[in-house]
Amino acid sequence: MKNKLEKKIIIKVTDLFKSFNNNVVLKNINFQLLEGESLAIIGESGSGKSVLLKNIIGLLLPDKGSIEINNVEMVNLPRNLKEKILLDLGITFQHGALFDSLKIWENIIFKVANKEKMNVKQGKQLALSIIKQLGLQPDILDLYPSEISGGMQKRVAIARAICGNPKILLFDEPTSGLDPVTGSLIDKLIKTAVRTVGGSAITITHDMASVCRIADKVLLIDKQTISWSGTPEEMFKSANPKIQEFIKPINSEIFFK
Amino acid sequence: MLDFFINFVGAIGKKFINFISNIGHFFTFFANTIYWMFRPPWYFKKIFQQIIDIGYFSLPVVGLTTFFSGMVLALQTYNGFTEFNSETTVARVVLTSITRELGPVLTGLMVAGRIGAKMAAEIATMRVTEQIDALGTLGTRPMQYLIAPKIIASLVCIPLLVLIGNTIGILGGYVIAIYKLNFNPNLYLYSTMEYLQLIDIIQGTVKAVVFGLIISMVSCYFGFNATKGAEGVGFATTSSVVISSVMILTSTYIITALFFG
Repeated sequence: MKNKLEKKIIIKVTDLFKSFNNNVVLKNINFQLLEGESLAIIGESGSGKSVLLKNIIGLLLPDKGSIEINNVEMVNLPRNLKEKILLDLGITFQHGALFDSLKIWENIIFKVANKEKMNVKQGKQLALSIIKQLGLQPDILDLYPSEISGGMQKRVAIARAICGNPKILLFDEPTSGLDPVTGSLIDKLIKTAVRTVGGSAITITHDMASVCRIADKVLLIDKQTISWSGTPEEMFKSANPKIQEFIKPINSEIFFK
Repeated sequence: MLDFFINFVGAIGKKFINFISNIGHFFTFFANTIYWMFRPPWYFKKIFQQIIDIGYFSLPVVGLTTFFSGMVLALQTYNGFTEFNSETTVARVVLTSITRELGPVLTGLMVAGRIGAKMAAEIATMRVTEQIDALGTLGTRPMQYLIAPKIIASLVCIPLLVLIGNTIGILGGYVIAIYKLNFNPNLYLYSTMEYLQLIDIIQGTVKAVVFGLIISMVSCYFGFNATKGAEGVGFATTSSVVISSVMILTSTYIITALFFG
C-alpha cells in the first residue's frame, strides 16, 4: 500500500459524466492510473469503454468531471497545450485507424517524423526496428494498409503507438481479431513497454486471457459506471455476478499456474 | 387536430433551426480553415499532390467539355445568325459566352463532380474510420494537414483550369467555324481578338476563384462532418456535389450581376 502511495499519478479521472442526446453513457467515473501500472478496462460492448478513452484523449468533451494527465487538467485545456500533452501518449484505435494514403513505414513513424526531420532510409530503419518486435515481416513496409490483413493492420497500429517510446499507452481492443499467438505477442509487448520504458498503460479489452497477462489492475464498466475494480487475481475470486459472467468462459487456472 | 397542427409546426421549426445551425457550422468551419491556411506548418508535399490531382488530372475532362461546348456554340450561333454578318457574330458570341459564362461554369461543374466528390468521400472515409481522430493524437492538426492543402490547391488550380478551358472552348468554335462553316480563318481570328475584353477575363477568373472556394469548402465540410459509416460517406459525397453545383450556378449569377448588372 505504501509503495502505491509513493507512485506518481499519471492519469486521474474524477466524477466523469458523459451523455449523448440525453442518453447517459458514463456516470460518476473515478479511477487513477499510476506510474508503471497496467490497467485493463473491461465491460460489455456498448458499455462506454471507448467513450471513456476518447474523453481521456480529448476527442470527446465530458459533460462533467475532471481528467488529469500528469497533473494537468485536460478538460477545457487550450488546444495547443492539449496537443503537447497528447504527444507523450501512444494510442491505438479500435479499428486501427491507419492512414490509407500512406505506406506502412510512413504510418509507423508519422508522429516521430513530425517532431524530427528524417530521410526515407532513417524512417524505414526506425519502422523496421519496431515491426520486428511485433513479429511482422520487413517486406510489408512499402505496402499500403489496404494491402495487408486486418491482423497485420492491428499490429501496425500498435507499432505506430509505441514508436517514439511514449510513457503513456492507451490501447482500444489491441488483440481483438488476432489469433491467440499474435494476441499473446501483443500482450507481451504491452507488458514490456510498461516495464522497460517505465510507462503506464490503459487497455480496453474483452479478452480475459489478455487481461490476466497484462493487467496489474482491472476495472469493470457496467451500467454506465465502474462497478468493480481489483487485481486479476481478485477478479477470479470475486462474487460479482458481472465479473462471473466475464470469467466463466475461461479456466483461470490455465493463466495462473 | 390541434396536436397534428402543433406537431406539424414543430417539425418545420426543427428543420429550420437545423438549417440555420448547419449554416452556422459551415461558416465556423470556413473561418477555421482560413485561419489554419495561414499558419505554419504548411504541408507542401500534400499541396503539390493536390495540385496534380485537381489541376493536371482534371485537364482532360475540362478540355473535352469546353472544346465541344465551343463547337456547339459556333454551330448554333451560325444557324441563328446566317442572315446577318455571321463571321464576326459567331466569333463574338463564342468568345463572350465561353469567357464570361460557359468556361468557368462548365469547369466548375466538372471539377465539382470529379474532385468535390473525391474530396468529400476521402475525408468522410477518414472520419468514419477514426483516421481524423488518430491524426489529432499524432501531433498533427487535421485542418492543416487535410483541409488546407485541398483549399489552397483548388484556389490555384481552378482559375488556371478555367483559363485553359476558355482557350480550348474558343479553339472548338474556331475548328467548326473554319472547317465546317468555311469561314475565313484570318477574319475569324481578327474578330475574336477584337472582341476579347480584359473585363471578361477578370470576371471569369473571379468566378473561378469563387468556384474553387465553394467546391473545396463544401466538399471538405461534408466530408469532415460525416457520420454513420458507409451511409454517411455516401451522404457526404452526394451532398457535396449537389450543393457545390447549386452554389456555383447561384454565385455565377451574382458575380455576373455585380460585373455587368
